[in-house]
Amino acid sequence: MHKQDRNRFFMTISGLFALICFAGYIHITNGTFDMSVKDVVTTLLRMNPNHDFDLVIFEFRLPRIVIAALVGLGLGVAGTVVQGVTRNGLADPGILGINAGAGAAIVILMFLFQMQVTVSGTSNWLSILIMPVFGFVGGLVAAIIIYSIAWRNGKLDTERLILTGIAISSGFGALSMYISLKMREGDFEMATVWMSGSIYNANWLFIVAMLPWLLILVPVIYRKAYLLDYLQLEEASIKSLGIRVEKEKSILLLSSIGVISACVSVSGSISFIGLMAPHIARQLVGIHHRYVIPTSGAVGMLLVVISDYIAKTVFAPAEIPVGIVVAILGVPYFLYLLVKSKA
Amino acid sequence: MVESMIRAEQLTSGYEKLTVFSDLDVAIKKGHITTIIGPNGCGKSTLLKTIGRILKQKNGDVFLQEKDMKSISTKAIAKQLALLSQNPEAPLQLKVEELISYGRFPHRKNVGKLSSKDKQVIEWAMDITRTTAFRDREIAQLSGGQRQKVWLAMALAQETNILLLDEPTTYLDLAHQLEVLQIVERLNKEHQCTIIMVLHDINHAARFSHELIAMKAGEIVTVGSPNEILEKDVLKEVFHINARIMIDPENGSPVCFGYDTLLAQEQGGPYGDNG
Repeated sequence: MHKQDRNRFFMTISGLFALICFAGYIHITNGTFDMSVKDVVTTLLRMNPNHDFDLVIFEFRLPRIVIAALVGLGLGVAGTVVQGVTRNGLADPGILGINAGAGAAIVILMFLFQMQVTVSGTSNWLSILIMPVFGFVGGLVAAIIIYSIAWRNGKLDTERLILTGIAISSGFGALSMYISLKMREGDFEMATVWMSGSIYNANWLFIVAMLPWLLILVPVIYRKAYLLDYLQLEEASIKSLGIRVEKEKSILLLSSIGVISACVSVSGSISFIGLMAPHIARQLVGIHHRYVIPTSGAVGMLLVVISDYIAKTVFAPAEIPVGIVVAILGVPYFLYLLVKSKA
Repeated sequence: MVESMIRAEQLTSGYEKLTVFSDLDVAIKKGHITTIIGPNGCGKSTLLKTIGRILKQKNGDVFLQEKDMKSISTKAIAKQLALLSQNPEAPLQLKVEELISYGRFPHRKNVGKLSSKDKQVIEWAMDITRTTAFRDREIAQLSGGQRQKVWLAMALAQETNILLLDEPTTYLDLAHQLEVLQIVERLNKEHQCTIIMVLHDINHAARFSHELIAMKAGEIVTVGSPNEILEKDVLKEVFHINARIMIDPENGSPVCFGYDTLLAQEQGGPYGDNG
């Protein structure tokens, strides 16, 4: 890795962080209740606290921005891993059925708890903390099914992995739909909005629930990032280097499943971030995963924070799920990638 | 008697439900160049990959210097044995020198910087394969011949005393074929590297090898020196050809300078009687 690559990486990351802060600033000051920079700063620094400002910033906007940033980070990182392990630039956690598995598990949880989980309040903190666990189990079940079908002759067949993922994804999608149809009318609406990816009911408890997953698994992934460079070679060459291919792939994929499940459990299924962020990151910093992973995480953060801002303001005071905004931005990008990869 | 570097006992291997060969016994002599020849689909690549633990055997054992390979960690094996696969792939934007540095993987303790030893070995590998000139280029910018030499350099950077090469000259022009084989020969002579390769060109096999293993339909037909294998009856049995052999006056190795398929002869085809 050359020095110029490293400089480019640090420049890019600093630039992205500046943009994230800027997006966060716009997000926190704008909305149905406009605030000045001074209001925000004084509130955050606890100088002459004001109840209204406190409520807007600490209860509504700040948790929402933090969740948007965390979800973007998680999806960007996990997307890079999924693309790296499958050696397929068009793979994405959504395509692999992990989102759908985690989603279905959480819809089941919502059904069992009669929607208590999505209603904010501290009385049901247990069910909120359980959500990522449930999501992980769902994501894991999806992953195990996909693995056992894609696992052939002692190795992971990447093409089968993607094809099975697509099938499992529709299967779990149908399951979620079926369960949500069994719900009461109000619950159904909530579940539908949640499934299309939304974070407007964010609160600090969600952050507490998802943070440990990211804090543990993202460093695990980052530590293994250099291996993703090697995993871009074809199988025989990787094995010849003495890399335990299946074990390393499994650690990376399982960690990503954990990250994705934590994200899905708080935000529903936001697709396309896991697809777009790694591509943008590679354009920015090249092909080394030590650089691509953090960059992709930062790009994911930026994309979700901006998308969420659009989601809350475009049809204000009505909100649209952030997942839909991301999809509207993402579909043309996906098509662009397809056309470009053909050329 | 030269001791064996690699020995396989009762080896059975294949893909999924397909068994390519069963109960093969092979011994590869230390410090020799051994080439496996045989018609398409005879199992020569499968044998090479199984010996190189790229493909897991269905049964039997492979011994690396008389130690069961199953009992050695894959990383430890990678310090002794490198394999250059038939269709190696790498991201096209990867730089030549970086790809070659991947060969240092089994020797590196941390993921950080390359040690001075690593750098020294990489320089050596580039030097011996004559790839130093394009070290800063991306893989995408290389010709097929250059690419093959870069891959060979990556295998060399592994600093092993055994090198397995799966059809290293396929798709290369005549000059590059020879260049690659001469590099292999030099490694064997100067660094006592034990080499096992699969080649299609029996003349190259004869010229560069100490020993040939002739395979057919998952069986080892015979093992011997180039003079013993490039012989009318053996080639008739293995390749089903009627070969015309002479000795190259320049280097003394046997050369097949012309051949006809037995099938055409039997049928009295158009190419049957022009020998």
